[in-house]
Amino acid sequence: MKIILNGKNIKCKEGKTILDICKEHNIKIPTLCFIEGLKPEARCRLCLVELDNKLVTSCSTYPYEGCKIITDSKRIRKARSINAELLMAGHVKTLSVDEMENDLYKVIRDLGMTRIRFEPIIKYKQDLSESIIRDDNKCINCGKCIRVCGEIMGVHAISFQGRGHYEHVSPYNNHPLNNVACIKCGQCIAACPVGAIYEREHLFEVIQALKNKKKHVVVQTAPSVRVALGEEFGMPPGSLVTGKMVAALRKIGFDRIFDTDLGADMTIMEEASEFVKRLKKNGPFPMITTCCPAWIKFMEHFYHNLFPNMSSCKSPHEMLGILTKTYYAKKFGIKKKDIVVVSVMPCTAKKFESTRPEIDSDVDYVLTTRELSKLIRYSKVDFKKLKDEEFDNPLGISTGAGLMFGATGGVMEAALRTTYEFATGKTLKKVEFNEIRGIEGVKKGTIKIKGKTIRFAAVHGGSNIRKLLKEKDKYHFIEIMACPGGCIGGGGQPWPTTKEVIKKRMEAIYKADRNLPLRKSHENPAVKQIYAEFLGKPLSKKAKKILHTHFVKRSEF
Amino acid sequence: MQILRKTNLKALEKAKKLGAKKVIDILKKKNLTGRGGAAFPTGKKWEFTLNAKSDTKYVICNANEGEPGTFKDRFIIKNNPETLIEGILIAAYVIKAKQAFIYLRGEYDNLRNLLQKTINKVVKKSGVDIKIISGAGAYVCGEETAIIQSIEGQRGHPQYKPPYPAVDGLFGKPTIINNIETLTNVPQAILFNDWDPNLRLMSLSGNIANPGIYELPVGYKLTDLIKKAKPKNKVKAIYFGCFGGCMPYSKIELTPDSICGKNCIIGSYTIIVVDEKQSILDTALSIAHFYCHESCGKCTPCREGTIRVCHLLEKIKSGKATKQDLEILEDLAMNIHETSLCGLGQTSTNHLLTALEFFRKEFEEKLR
Repeated sequence: MKIILNGKNIKCKEGKTILDICKEHNIKIPTLCFIEGLKPEARCRLCLVELDNKLVTSCSTYPYEGCKIITDSKRIRKARSINAELLMAGHVKTLSVDEMENDLYKVIRDLGMTRIRFEPIIKYKQDLSESIIRDDNKCINCGKCIRVCGEIMGVHAISFQGRGHYEHVSPYNNHPLNNVACIKCGQCIAACPVGAIYEREHLFEVIQALKNKKKHVVVQTAPSVRVALGEEFGMPPGSLVTGKMVAALRKIGFDRIFDTDLGADMTIMEEASEFVKRLKKNGPFPMITTCCPAWIKFMEHFYHNLFPNMSSCKSPHEMLGILTKTYYAKKFGIKKKDIVVVSVMPCTAKKFESTRPEIDSDVDYVLTTRELSKLIRYSKVDFKKLKDEEFDNPLGISTGAGLMFGATGGVMEAALRTTYEFATGKTLKKVEFNEIRGIEGVKKGTIKIKGKTIRFAAVHGGSNIRKLLKEKDKYHFIEIMACPGGCIGGGGQPWPTTKEVIKKRMEAIYKADRNLPLRKSHENPAVKQIYAEFLGKPLSKKAKKILHTHFVKRSEF
Repeated sequence: MQILRKTNLKALEKAKKLGAKKVIDILKKKNLTGRGGAAFPTGKKWEFTLNAKSDTKYVICNANEGEPGTFKDRFIIKNNPETLIEGILIAAYVIKAKQAFIYLRGEYDNLRNLLQKTINKVVKKSGVDIKIISGAGAYVCGEETAIIQSIEGQRGHPQYKPPYPAVDGLFGKPTIINNIETLTNVPQAILFNDWDPNLRLMSLSGNIANPGIYELPVGYKLTDLIKKAKPKNKVKAIYFGCFGGCMPYSKIELTPDSICGKNCIIGSYTIIVVDEKQSILDTALSIAHFYCHESCGKCTPCREGTIRVCHLLEKIKSGKATKQDLEILEDLAMNIHETSLCGLGQTSTNHLLTALEFFRKEFEEKLR
């Protein structure tokens, strides 16, 4: 098909929208409501272009043979400006989000606008929950959060309420988020272009604890934080900044810096032993991982029949939290009540997890990756110039298996490395399972253990989870992560988290795993030491008491 | 009145004898156009749906008559429901649909029983199920894609076109959506040789002695119509419904072409008479409130713009506005008209654009 784009004759394929074609030709068009991979809704009316002298939205319009498209003119600028102005007037400024991260500000800057001629209207209360806060006064009704929650995560916790100017995003009947089936994954936060949804910050409390001389403040960092934190400081996606991150945390003033990867190794020890036990007892299968707190809540709301299938392990950071307050405290003679455990996580659901009564959490505060970057800036640390440093002993030694928890399929791969050796007693030579790596929604594979074919799967993204669980009986072992891409695509990660960025972070994780000397959880000397000195062996009475948990039934609505 | 002639299922019999294609040919030949306001040829619309490949197809009758000053559909349902149902059955026969819906305006709930009784009487063994779906009072659900969303159980939000409902409509299947007046005309056009395509139902209201429905041909003189209506004062302006915009009272003929100012459309022949004792600014404000209330909230210009139009008009009315405010109002009105997603948004400022074109003085004399 031939079209005329900005006066140039151009050939293009049919079935592409004007926006797609403009992207191919490096023409920038502002969008606020467009989500890659989903059907456009054409709500925001900012991607306007002229198609044969008619203003149309480029995201939803297909060109036809011989049509004339203009992407920049006085008329277009004026129309875009007025729409942006209307949005901006409805978006009430508060301090909780960086201006740089606000897509609406970027649009306004690119349009060269200097004034907003309408007055702001404040009409809503904030909706506060343990991990996610919504502020409708900032909302511009682009609908991205609703579509991500429904179409990608399969949760449908929020939708539009009201009509016309009173249309706003909210759970049904204007319930607060705490009262409805929200899994707290935080994907809505990642989708929001204006920061109208954000995490409940624990930053203030952490700073208070750091200032308190009596407190022994211990921090632990999740595997996926180290591959994403650099982006907040202008590094390209996929930069591995483990050493710099540790150095920054030490400079900020944390007393000990531990690695959640070790907690992940502990999880694998327990989970693999549990799986081996189930193999001997022949069920119940499939066994499903429990590292992801958003998935746990998803299950508690929508899949009550899966309770016997769930592994009973706590999530890695909770394991490390309780080990810090028991094993570490005892070993170094520090009083439990003086220790403050801070987890840096890519996740908002972990904030919720740390308030669950079933876990009786030993993690006091959870920071997201974004909050950590704020803390680093607050402490005036020049992140890029820091020299690499190492985690502290004794809870700072980790393996490649633990590191892989950050990417989808990683838990399964780590578990398989250990399960195989636990069940057969032989050494696993080929440690890489390429069939469950990558960005596809559902990944499957098989492995032979003692002559029996074990079918395993890894799945991420809520709607994919719903798909896989329809045929769950085919599998023996399933890894489930709620967020697309696993923890590296979590709701607490730096903006923007696109598919390309997730791929780069994933590559960084697998590359780091390849370069580590220890790649199996049970080979971790720290793990061996903890079992020898404290827990005995996996699934021992003590281990069961402190490293395992149970779940509760929640309403589907 | 032509619209009240009963066909007593003879048109359906005739249609079944002729076959689907010949029925469409008749509609095209007799030049039946949509009476909802857009005046799209009905035969063409049906042909698209007939040619779309699908095992399931639907017919929807749009009875969500929400336009202020329009009450012709209510008149038809009250006085000739049998012919309307027959029209739906013919549409269903032509595209081989097994299911049809009547999307009845929520406020017309008192007509529901009458419609249901007529359906029970007329449909019998035709193999078509006609379901009445009650709207919940949303004006925007008179827009065809919003009706589809509403029947599917979603929020009544319009969708962008293409794809058109004729190909990808209710539950993703090809769907015919027609207005009540159109569907009632179908059996009459098929059966009667003397059927006149030019006759329209005109809804007259305003400060007049004889409001009501008039059946008159296209091209009828406005002055004659107003004479019939017997206005109480000297007529100043004519509003063609809320969405059609206004024009000064003058000697014109009522055809789509002759009244078309820049942003004035005749639509469904709704005529609201405004006389000299009424203020255009007040009328504009009241219409702006209507659109602000009825906006679905989907797209930016309509959701955020309509309320700003209200605010600006209120400011002008209170005498606090400056010349700049009027400029903003005009920019805003033009922007809403040009960049909104659906018909509601695009036409929601027609009344203002036309009022500013013809009665600018009334706005300007209120400025500071």
